[in-house]
Amino acid sequence: MAEMWISMGPQHPMTHGLWTLKVKVDGETIVDADPELGYLHRSVEKMGERRKYFMNTTLTDRLCYASSTTWTHCYAHSVEELMEVEVPVRAQYIRTIMLELQRLASHLMWAGAYMPDLGHITGALYFWRDRELFLNLLELPSGSRLLYNFIRIGGVKRDLPNGFEEKTERILKLFEQRLDEYSDLFENSKIFRMRTDDVGKFTAEQAKNFGITGPNLRGCGTKFDLRKHDTYEIYEEIDWDISTREAGPGYSDCFSRYMVRIDEMKESVRIIRDCFKKMPAGATLASRVPVRAHGEAFRRTEDSRGEAMMYVVGDGSDRPYRWKIKSPMFTTMSACPHYLKGYKLADIPAIMGSIDICIGETDK
Amino acid sequence: MDIDEFMQQFSTSKGVSNISKIRENIVKLDLTKEDSLNFFDSIKSDFEHCSLISAIDNQPDFELVYHFSCINQAIVVKDSDCAVMLEAHVYLKRDAPSIDSISNIWFGANWHEREAFDLMGIYFIGHPDLRRVLLPEGFAGHPLRKDYVYEIHEEEW
Repeated sequence: MAEMWISMGPQHPMTHGLWTLKVKVDGETIVDADPELGYLHRSVEKMGERRKYFMNTTLTDRLCYASSTTWTHCYAHSVEELMEVEVPVRAQYIRTIMLELQRLASHLMWAGAYMPDLGHITGALYFWRDRELFLNLLELPSGSRLLYNFIRIGGVKRDLPNGFEEKTERILKLFEQRLDEYSDLFENSKIFRMRTDDVGKFTAEQAKNFGITGPNLRGCGTKFDLRKHDTYEIYEEIDWDISTREAGPGYSDCFSRYMVRIDEMKESVRIIRDCFKKMPAGATLASRVPVRAHGEAFRRTEDSRGEAMMYVVGDGSDRPYRWKIKSPMFTTMSACPHYLKGYKLADIPAIMGSIDICIGETDK
Repeated sequence: MDIDEFMQQFSTSKGVSNISKIRENIVKLDLTKEDSLNFFDSIKSDFEHCSLISAIDNQPDFELVYHFSCINQAIVVKDSDCAVMLEAHVYLKRDAPSIDSISNIWFGANWHEREAFDLMGIYFIGHPDLRRVLLPEGFAGHPLRKDYVYEIHEEEW
Protein backbone atom coordinates (compact mmCIF):
# COMPACT_ATOMS: atom_id res chain seq x y z
CA MET A 1 0.00 0.00 0.00
CA ALA A 2 1.17 3.54 -0.62
CA GLU A 3 2.80 5.25 2.33
CA MET A 4 1.93 8.78 3.29
CA TRP A 5 2.88 11.45 5.80
CA ILE A 6 0.30 12.69 8.28
CA SER A 7 0.90 15.80 10.33
CA MET A 8 -0.33 15.67 13.92
CA GLY A 9 -0.09 19.09 15.48
CA PRO A 10 0.72 21.79 16.35
CA GLN A 11 -2.99 22.04 17.15
CA HIS A 12 -3.80 18.48 18.05
CA PRO A 13 -5.21 17.31 21.39
CA MET A 14 -2.45 14.69 21.63
CA THR A 15 0.42 17.15 21.61
CA HIS A 16 0.09 18.72 25.11
CA GLY A 17 1.83 21.89 24.10
CA LEU A 18 2.84 23.12 20.71
CA TRP A 19 4.78 20.71 18.58
CA THR A 20 4.24 18.73 15.42
CA LEU A 21 4.57 15.04 15.01
CA LYS A 22 4.82 14.00 11.40
CA VAL A 23 4.08 10.33 11.02
CA LYS A 24 4.56 8.19 7.95
CA VAL A 25 1.89 5.53 7.80
CA ASP A 26 1.38 2.45 5.74
CA GLY A 27 -2.33 1.90 6.08
CA GLU A 28 -2.70 2.35 9.82
CA THR A 29 0.77 1.18 10.79
CA ILE A 30 3.44 3.74 11.63
CA VAL A 31 6.62 3.23 9.61
CA ASP A 32 8.44 6.47 10.41
CA ALA A 33 8.02 9.63 12.43
CA ASP A 34 9.60 13.06 12.60
CA PRO A 35 8.96 15.28 15.62
CA GLU A 36 9.29 19.01 15.04
CA LEU A 37 9.93 21.55 17.75
CA GLY A 38 10.41 25.25 18.11
CA TYR A 39 6.90 26.64 18.38
CA LEU A 40 7.53 27.63 21.99
CA HIS A 41 11.19 28.56 21.74
CA ARG A 42 11.80 31.65 23.89
CA SER A 43 15.61 31.50 23.90
CA VAL A 44 15.76 31.26 27.68
CA GLU A 45 19.51 30.62 27.56
CA LYS A 46 20.15 33.84 25.64
CA MET A 47 17.82 35.85 27.86
CA GLY A 48 19.61 34.47 30.89
CA GLU A 49 22.93 35.83 29.69
CA ARG A 50 21.52 39.36 29.87
CA ARG A 51 20.10 39.07 33.36
CA LYS A 52 21.79 38.93 36.72
CA TYR A 53 22.08 35.57 38.43
CA PHE A 54 19.28 36.16 40.92
CA MET A 55 16.91 37.48 38.23
CA ASN A 56 16.95 34.23 36.31
CA THR A 57 14.80 32.38 38.84
CA THR A 58 11.74 33.96 37.26
CA LEU A 59 12.80 32.61 33.86
CA THR A 60 13.43 29.10 35.14
CA ASP A 61 9.96 29.06 36.69
CA ARG A 62 8.59 29.42 33.19
CA LEU A 63 10.59 26.53 31.75
CA CYS A 64 7.93 24.03 32.70
CA TYR A 65 4.49 25.23 33.68
CA ALA A 66 3.62 21.90 35.28
CA SER A 67 6.73 21.60 37.39
CA SER A 68 8.24 25.02 37.91
CA THR A 69 9.77 24.55 41.36
CA THR A 70 12.01 21.69 40.24
CA TRP A 71 13.50 23.82 37.48
CA THR A 72 14.11 26.84 39.67
CA HIS A 73 15.68 24.51 42.17
CA CYS A 74 17.96 23.01 39.53
CA TYR A 75 19.11 26.50 38.57
CA ALA A 76 19.60 27.67 42.15
CA HIS A 77 21.46 24.48 42.95
CA SER A 78 23.88 24.86 40.02
CA VAL A 79 24.54 28.51 40.78
CA GLU A 80 25.14 27.66 44.45
CA GLU A 81 27.69 25.13 43.28
CA LEU A 82 29.32 27.82 41.14
CA MET A 83 29.30 30.44 43.90
CA GLU A 84 30.08 27.93 46.65
CA VAL A 85 27.12 28.96 48.77
CA GLU A 86 26.12 26.84 51.76
CA VAL A 87 22.36 26.47 52.07
CA PRO A 88 20.99 26.36 55.66
CA VAL A 89 19.65 22.96 56.71
CA ARG A 90 16.12 24.16 57.32
CA ALA A 91 16.02 25.67 53.84
CA GLN A 92 17.08 22.31 52.43
CA TYR A 93 14.18 20.62 54.19
CA ILE A 94 11.71 23.24 52.98
CA ARG A 95 13.07 22.84 49.45
CA THR A 96 12.63 19.08 49.61
CA ILE A 97 9.04 19.45 50.79
CA MET A 98 8.31 21.93 48.00
CA LEU A 99 10.01 19.73 45.40
CA GLU A 100 7.99 16.70 46.39
CA LEU A 101 4.72 18.64 46.52
CA GLN A 102 5.59 19.87 43.05
CA ARG A 103 6.34 16.35 41.88
CA LEU A 104 2.92 15.25 43.14
CA ALA A 105 1.23 18.16 41.38
CA SER A 106 3.17 17.44 38.19
CA HIS A 107 2.43 13.72 38.15
CA LEU A 108 -1.24 14.42 38.84
CA MET A 109 -1.27 16.94 36.01
CA TRP A 110 0.24 14.27 33.76
CA ALA A 111 -2.22 11.59 34.86
CA GLY A 112 -5.08 14.01 34.36
CA ALA A 113 -3.86 14.80 30.86
CA TYR A 114 -3.21 11.17 30.00
CA MET A 115 -6.72 9.95 30.77
CA PRO A 116 -8.54 12.04 28.13
CA ASP A 117 -5.85 10.93 25.66
CA LEU A 118 -7.25 7.47 26.20
CA GLY A 119 -10.85 8.66 26.08
CA HIS A 120 -11.37 8.67 29.85
CA ILE A 121 -12.64 12.16 30.71
CA THR A 122 -13.62 11.22 34.25
CA GLY A 123 -10.00 10.40 35.00
CA ALA A 124 -8.97 13.92 34.08
CA LEU A 125 -11.49 15.41 36.48
CA TYR A 126 -10.47 13.09 39.32
CA PHE A 127 -6.75 13.69 39.00
CA TRP A 128 -7.08 17.43 38.52
CA ARG A 129 -9.36 17.61 41.55
CA ASP A 130 -6.46 16.21 43.56
CA ARG A 131 -3.90 18.42 41.89
CA GLU A 132 -5.96 21.36 43.12
CA LEU A 133 -5.30 20.27 46.71
CA PHE A 134 -1.55 20.35 46.14
CA LEU A 135 -1.71 23.67 44.34
CA ASN A 136 -3.48 25.03 47.41
CA LEU A 137 -0.64 23.71 49.53
CA LEU A 138 2.04 25.18 47.28
CA GLU A 139 0.21 28.50 47.37
CA LEU A 140 0.46 28.80 51.14
CA PRO A 141 4.21 29.47 51.43
CA SER A 142 4.81 30.95 47.97
CA GLY A 143 1.68 33.01 47.34
CA SER A 144 1.04 31.82 43.80
CA ARG A 145 -0.48 28.79 42.20
CA LEU A 146 1.52 28.04 39.08
CA LEU A 147 4.82 29.92 38.95
CA TYR A 148 6.07 30.08 42.50
CA ASN A 149 9.47 31.79 42.37
CA PHE A 150 9.93 30.40 45.87
CA ILE A 151 13.40 28.93 45.70
CA ARG A 152 16.19 31.48 45.77
CA ILE A 153 19.92 31.20 45.34
CA GLY A 154 21.07 30.38 48.85
CA GLY A 155 17.79 29.16 50.28
CA VAL A 156 14.08 29.82 50.01
CA LYS A 157 11.99 32.98 49.94
CA ARG A 158 10.40 32.57 53.35
CA ASP A 159 9.71 30.05 56.07
CA LEU A 160 6.68 27.77 55.98
CA PRO A 161 3.51 29.42 57.37
CA ASN A 162 1.91 28.37 60.66
CA GLY A 163 -0.21 25.25 60.46
CA PHE A 164 1.34 24.12 57.18
CA GLU A 165 2.28 20.72 58.53
CA GLU A 166 -1.26 19.97 59.78
CA LYS A 167 -2.83 21.08 56.52
CA THR A 168 -0.37 18.99 54.52
CA GLU A 169 -0.97 15.94 56.66
CA ARG A 170 -4.74 16.27 56.23
CA ILE A 171 -4.39 16.45 52.46
CA LEU A 172 -1.87 13.60 52.28
CA LYS A 173 -4.23 11.35 54.24
CA LEU A 174 -7.08 12.13 51.87
CA PHE A 175 -4.82 11.68 48.87
CA GLU A 176 -3.69 8.23 49.97
CA GLN A 177 -7.29 7.07 50.15
CA ARG A 178 -7.92 8.48 46.70
CA LEU A 179 -4.91 6.64 45.26
CA ASP A 180 -6.44 3.36 46.41
CA GLU A 181 -9.66 4.34 44.68
CA TYR A 182 -7.75 5.06 41.49
CA SER A 183 -6.05 1.71 41.46
CA ASP A 184 -9.53 0.14 41.40
CA LEU A 185 -10.66 2.55 38.75
CA PHE A 186 -7.72 2.36 36.36
CA GLU A 187 -5.41 -0.55 37.03
CA ASN A 188 -8.32 -2.96 37.12
CA SER A 189 -10.09 -1.38 34.19
CA LYS A 190 -10.05 -3.63 31.17
CA ILE A 191 -10.39 -0.75 28.72
CA PHE A 192 -7.47 1.14 30.27
CA ARG A 193 -5.31 -1.98 30.20
CA MET A 194 -6.18 -2.71 26.57
CA ARG A 195 -4.97 0.73 25.54
CA THR A 196 -1.74 0.61 27.57
CA ASP A 197 -0.52 -2.99 27.93
CA ASP A 198 2.25 -3.91 25.47
CA VAL A 199 2.00 -0.55 23.71
CA GLY A 200 5.03 1.70 23.18
CA LYS A 201 7.64 -0.77 24.32
CA PHE A 202 11.34 -0.04 24.68
CA THR A 203 14.06 -1.84 26.57
CA ALA A 204 16.28 -0.42 29.29
CA GLU A 205 19.35 -0.62 27.00
CA GLN A 206 17.56 1.31 24.30
CA ALA A 207 16.28 3.84 26.81
CA LYS A 208 19.78 4.62 28.11
CA ASN A 209 21.16 5.00 24.61
CA PHE A 210 18.23 7.18 23.52
CA GLY A 211 18.83 9.45 26.49
CA ILE A 212 15.57 8.57 28.21
CA THR A 213 15.71 9.17 31.97
CA GLY A 214 13.43 9.54 34.94
CA PRO A 215 10.15 7.66 35.35
CA ASN A 216 10.35 6.42 31.74
CA LEU A 217 13.66 4.68 32.49
CA ARG A 218 12.48 3.40 35.86
CA GLY A 219 9.48 1.97 34.03
CA CYS A 220 11.98 -0.44 32.37
CA GLY A 221 13.02 -1.75 35.78
CA THR A 222 16.27 0.26 35.97
CA LYS A 223 16.90 1.45 39.50
CA PHE A 224 18.28 4.88 38.78
CA ASP A 225 17.14 8.00 40.55
CA LEU A 226 19.36 11.05 40.92
CA ARG A 227 17.86 11.79 44.30
CA LYS A 228 19.78 8.71 45.44
CA HIS A 229 22.53 8.37 42.85
CA ASP A 230 23.73 11.99 42.72
CA THR A 231 22.14 13.01 45.94
CA TYR A 232 21.30 16.63 46.74
CA GLU A 233 19.55 18.58 49.50
CA ILE A 234 18.68 16.14 52.29
CA TYR A 235 17.39 13.16 50.32
CA GLU A 236 20.19 11.08 51.85
CA GLU A 237 18.79 11.40 55.35
CA ILE A 238 15.22 10.69 54.36
CA ASP A 239 13.73 7.23 54.45
CA TRP A 240 12.43 6.35 50.99
CA ASP A 241 12.90 3.88 48.13
CA ILE A 242 13.29 4.18 44.39
CA SER A 243 10.14 2.90 42.71
CA THR A 244 10.59 0.78 39.62
CA ARG A 245 8.25 -1.22 37.46
CA GLU A 246 8.68 -3.28 34.38
CA ALA A 247 6.31 -4.68 31.82
CA GLY A 248 8.54 -7.70 31.20
CA PRO A 249 12.20 -8.48 31.74
CA GLY A 250 13.99 -5.17 31.12
CA TYR A 251 11.41 -3.35 29.06
CA SER A 252 8.60 -0.91 29.65
CA ASP A 253 5.21 -0.25 28.13
CA CYS A 254 2.66 2.50 28.67
CA PHE A 255 1.18 0.72 31.65
CA SER A 256 4.48 0.27 33.50
CA ARG A 257 5.26 3.93 32.92
CA TYR A 258 1.87 4.83 34.36
CA MET A 259 2.41 2.60 37.38
CA VAL A 260 5.88 3.89 38.16
CA ARG A 261 4.47 7.41 38.46
CA ILE A 262 1.70 6.25 40.77
CA ASP A 263 4.34 4.51 42.92
CA GLU A 264 6.46 7.64 42.87
CA MET A 265 3.58 9.66 44.21
CA LYS A 266 3.33 7.27 47.14
CA GLU A 267 7.05 7.69 47.78
CA SER A 268 6.72 11.48 47.61
CA VAL A 269 4.09 11.29 50.34
CA ARG A 270 6.57 9.31 52.44
CA ILE A 271 9.35 11.83 51.83
CA ILE A 272 7.16 14.80 52.81
CA ARG A 273 6.08 13.11 56.04
CA ASP A 274 9.65 12.22 56.94
CA CYS A 275 10.82 15.77 56.20
CA PHE A 276 8.32 17.24 58.65
CA LYS A 277 9.48 14.76 61.27
CA LYS A 278 13.18 15.60 60.90
CA MET A 279 13.04 19.29 60.07
CA PRO A 280 15.17 21.47 62.40
CA ALA A 281 14.64 25.13 63.23
CA GLY A 282 16.97 27.75 61.79
CA ALA A 283 17.57 30.21 59.01
CA THR A 284 15.95 29.81 55.59
CA LEU A 285 18.37 31.86 53.50
CA ALA A 286 22.16 31.91 53.46
CA SER A 287 23.44 35.00 55.23
CA ARG A 288 25.72 36.03 52.40
CA VAL A 289 25.14 35.27 48.72
CA PRO A 290 27.72 36.60 46.23
CA VAL A 291 26.55 38.62 43.26
CA ARG A 292 29.45 37.75 40.94
CA ALA A 293 30.80 34.36 40.00
CA HIS A 294 33.76 32.98 38.16
CA GLY A 295 34.35 29.50 36.82
CA GLU A 296 32.02 26.75 35.72
CA ALA A 297 29.74 24.37 37.51
CA PHE A 298 26.86 22.05 36.88
CA ARG A 299 24.39 20.09 38.94
CA ARG A 300 21.79 17.61 37.90
CA THR A 301 18.57 16.95 39.72
CA GLU A 302 15.72 14.53 39.36
CA ASP A 303 12.99 16.53 37.72
CA SER A 304 9.46 15.11 37.55
CA ARG A 305 10.30 14.03 34.00
CA GLY A 306 13.88 12.86 34.28
CA GLU A 307 17.40 14.16 34.54
CA ALA A 308 17.43 17.96 34.65
CA MET A 309 20.81 19.57 34.43
CA MET A 310 22.19 23.06 34.22
CA TYR A 311 25.70 24.00 33.24
CA VAL A 312 26.64 27.54 34.22
CA VAL A 313 29.79 29.39 33.20
CA GLY A 314 30.64 32.64 34.94
CA ASP A 315 33.24 35.15 33.74
CA GLY A 316 33.51 37.15 36.95
CA SER A 317 30.63 39.50 36.20
CA ASP A 318 27.17 39.45 37.78
CA ARG A 319 25.58 37.73 34.80
CA PRO A 320 26.11 34.17 33.56
CA TYR A 321 28.47 34.04 30.58
CA ARG A 322 26.86 30.86 29.32
CA TRP A 323 23.95 28.98 30.77
CA LYS A 324 23.02 25.64 29.29
CA ILE A 325 19.83 23.81 30.15
CA LYS A 326 19.43 20.09 29.74
CA SER A 327 15.82 19.11 29.41
CA PRO A 328 14.97 15.43 29.87
CA MET A 329 12.06 15.62 27.45
CA PHE A 330 14.21 17.02 24.65
CA THR A 331 16.10 13.74 24.25
CA THR A 332 13.12 11.55 25.08
CA MET A 333 11.18 13.14 22.27
CA SER A 334 14.05 12.86 19.83
CA ALA A 335 13.82 9.09 20.12
CA CYS A 336 10.08 8.92 19.44
CA PRO A 337 10.47 7.49 15.89
CA HIS A 338 12.07 4.44 17.51
CA TYR A 339 9.33 3.63 19.94
CA LEU A 340 6.44 4.62 17.68
CA LYS A 341 7.46 2.42 14.78
CA GLY A 342 5.26 -0.63 14.24
CA TYR A 343 2.28 0.60 16.26
CA LYS A 344 -1.04 1.83 14.93
CA LEU A 345 -1.96 5.44 14.37
CA ALA A 346 -4.49 5.24 17.21
CA ASP A 347 -1.71 4.25 19.64
CA ILE A 348 0.11 7.56 19.25
CA PRO A 349 -1.87 9.42 21.96
CA ALA A 350 -1.34 6.49 24.33
CA ILE A 351 2.42 6.31 23.68
CA MET A 352 3.26 10.01 23.51
CA GLY A 353 1.02 10.70 26.50
CA SER A 354 2.75 8.06 28.58
CA ILE A 355 6.19 9.71 28.34
CA ASP A 356 4.86 12.93 29.93
CA ILE A 357 5.77 15.66 27.48
CA CYS A 358 6.32 19.22 28.62
CA ILE A 359 7.04 21.51 25.70
CA GLY A 360 8.03 24.48 27.85
CA GLU A 361 11.28 22.89 28.95
CA THR A 362 11.85 21.06 25.66
CA ASP A 363 11.77 24.21 23.57
CA LYS A 364 13.50 26.33 26.20
CA MET B 1 35.95 -0.48 38.16
CA ASP B 2 36.81 2.18 40.68
CA ILE B 3 36.79 5.81 39.57
CA ASP B 4 40.52 6.20 40.33
CA GLU B 5 41.32 3.12 38.23
CA PHE B 6 39.30 4.61 35.41
CA MET B 7 41.27 7.85 35.64
CA GLN B 8 44.55 5.97 35.58
CA GLN B 9 43.49 3.85 32.64
CA PHE B 10 42.53 6.80 30.50
CA SER B 11 45.18 9.30 31.60
CA THR B 12 47.52 7.85 28.98
CA SER B 13 44.93 7.67 26.17
CA LYS B 14 45.75 9.53 23.02
CA GLY B 15 44.57 13.12 23.07
CA VAL B 16 43.62 13.19 26.76
CA SER B 17 45.15 15.79 29.06
CA ASN B 18 44.45 17.55 32.38
CA ILE B 19 42.50 14.65 33.83
CA SER B 20 41.17 15.52 37.28
CA LYS B 21 38.32 14.94 39.70
CA ILE B 22 36.08 17.95 40.27
CA ARG B 23 33.72 16.21 42.68
CA GLU B 24 34.01 12.76 44.18
CA ASN B 25 31.98 11.30 41.32
CA ILE B 26 32.91 13.57 38.43
CA VAL B 27 35.96 13.23 36.19
CA LYS B 28 36.96 16.15 34.07
CA LEU B 29 39.39 16.01 31.16
CA ASP B 30 40.50 17.90 28.08
CA LEU B 31 40.44 16.24 24.70
CA THR B 32 41.85 17.11 21.32
CA LYS B 33 39.42 17.39 18.46
CA GLU B 34 41.19 14.79 16.31
CA ASP B 35 41.15 12.02 18.93
CA SER B 36 37.69 12.72 20.32
CA LEU B 37 35.82 10.08 18.34
CA ASN B 38 38.26 7.30 19.24
CA PHE B 39 38.12 8.26 22.88
CA PHE B 40 34.33 8.41 22.99
CA ASP B 41 34.15 5.06 21.25
CA SER B 42 36.34 3.52 23.95
CA ILE B 43 34.18 4.74 26.84
CA LYS B 44 30.77 3.91 25.40
CA SER B 45 30.43 0.64 27.31
CA ASP B 46 31.06 2.37 30.66
CA PHE B 47 29.06 5.52 30.05
CA GLU B 48 25.89 4.43 28.33
CA HIS B 49 24.05 7.73 28.62
CA CYS B 50 25.01 11.01 26.98
CA SER B 51 23.62 13.67 29.30
CA LEU B 52 24.45 16.90 27.59
CA ILE B 53 26.53 18.59 24.93
CA SER B 54 27.04 22.31 25.58
CA ALA B 55 28.69 24.65 23.14
CA ILE B 56 30.35 27.76 24.53
CA ASP B 57 31.57 30.75 22.57
CA ASN B 58 34.79 31.68 24.36
CA GLN B 59 35.70 34.43 21.90
CA PRO B 60 37.51 33.86 19.70
CA ASP B 61 37.38 30.07 20.00
CA PHE B 62 34.63 27.61 20.71
CA GLU B 63 34.50 25.05 23.46
CA LEU B 64 32.36 21.93 23.51
CA VAL B 65 31.56 20.33 26.85
CA TYR B 66 30.35 16.74 26.83
CA HIS B 67 28.70 15.18 29.86
CA PHE B 68 28.30 11.43 30.01
CA SER B 69 26.82 9.49 32.86
CA CYS B 70 27.20 5.94 34.00
CA ILE B 71 23.88 4.37 34.90
CA ASN B 72 24.70 0.68 35.28
CA GLN B 73 27.42 1.31 37.90
CA ALA B 74 30.23 -0.02 35.70
CA ILE B 75 32.38 2.62 37.37
CA VAL B 76 31.84 3.20 41.06
CA VAL B 77 32.88 5.58 43.80
CA LYS B 78 34.20 3.77 46.85
CA ASP B 79 31.66 3.34 49.69
CA SER B 80 28.95 5.20 47.85
CA ASP B 81 26.29 4.49 45.25
CA CYS B 82 26.90 7.82 43.55
CA ALA B 83 26.61 7.68 39.75
CA VAL B 84 29.86 8.62 38.02
CA MET B 85 29.95 11.33 35.36
CA LEU B 86 32.53 12.32 32.80
CA GLU B 87 33.02 15.89 31.65
CA ALA B 88 35.09 16.24 28.47
CA HIS B 89 36.18 19.61 27.09
CA VAL B 90 37.06 19.96 23.42
CA TYR B 91 38.35 23.24 22.00
CA LEU B 92 37.56 24.26 18.43
CA LYS B 93 39.07 27.04 16.34
CA ARG B 94 36.66 29.74 15.26
CA ASP B 95 37.44 29.35 11.56
CA ALA B 96 36.85 25.57 11.68
CA PRO B 97 33.98 24.88 14.09
CA SER B 98 33.52 21.23 13.23
CA ILE B 99 33.95 17.93 15.04
CA ASP B 100 33.07 14.28 14.50
CA SER B 101 29.50 13.45 15.42
CA ILE B 102 28.85 10.96 18.22
CA SER B 103 25.17 10.45 17.48
CA ASN B 104 25.93 7.06 15.96
CA ILE B 105 27.35 5.96 19.31
CA TRP B 106 24.74 7.54 21.59
CA PHE B 107 21.42 8.24 19.92
CA GLY B 108 20.67 10.66 22.76
CA ALA B 109 23.41 12.96 21.43
CA ASN B 110 21.55 13.43 18.15
CA TRP B 111 19.39 16.38 19.13
CA HIS B 112 22.03 17.90 21.40
CA GLU B 113 24.25 18.15 18.33
CA ARG B 114 21.43 19.56 16.27
CA GLU B 115 20.87 22.17 18.96
CA ALA B 116 24.57 23.09 19.09
CA PHE B 117 24.48 23.47 15.31
CA ASP B 118 21.30 25.49 15.43
CA LEU B 119 22.20 27.96 18.15
CA MET B 120 26.01 28.03 18.02
CA GLY B 121 26.88 26.96 14.48
CA ILE B 122 29.05 23.96 15.29
CA TYR B 123 29.18 21.42 12.43
CA PHE B 124 29.09 17.75 13.35
CA ILE B 125 30.71 15.60 10.69
CA GLY B 126 28.82 12.39 10.02
CA HIS B 127 25.62 13.48 11.72
CA PRO B 128 22.68 11.71 10.04
CA ASP B 129 20.33 14.68 10.02
CA LEU B 130 21.99 18.01 10.79
CA ARG B 131 19.09 20.46 10.57
CA ARG B 132 17.94 23.31 12.79
CA VAL B 133 15.86 21.99 15.65
CA LEU B 134 14.54 24.96 17.63
CA LEU B 135 14.70 27.85 15.17
CA PRO B 136 12.77 27.87 11.89
CA GLU B 137 14.34 26.68 8.66
CA GLY B 138 15.88 29.62 6.83
CA PHE B 139 16.80 31.53 9.97
CA ALA B 140 20.06 33.36 9.39
CA GLY B 141 22.91 33.18 11.88
CA HIS B 142 23.45 31.39 15.16
CA PRO B 143 22.04 33.48 18.01
CA LEU B 144 24.02 32.10 20.95
CA ARG B 145 27.29 33.24 19.43
CA LYS B 146 28.57 36.30 21.24
CA ASP B 147 29.04 38.24 18.00
CA TYR B 148 25.46 37.67 16.87
CA VAL B 149 23.67 40.97 16.37
CA TYR B 150 19.97 40.65 17.02
CA GLU B 151 18.67 43.65 15.10
CA ILE B 152 20.22 42.73 11.76
CA HIS B 153 18.53 39.38 11.54
CA GLU B 154 15.22 40.44 12.93
CA GLU B 155 13.34 40.78 9.68
CA GLU B 156 14.91 38.03 7.66
CA TRP B 157 12.28 35.48 8.60
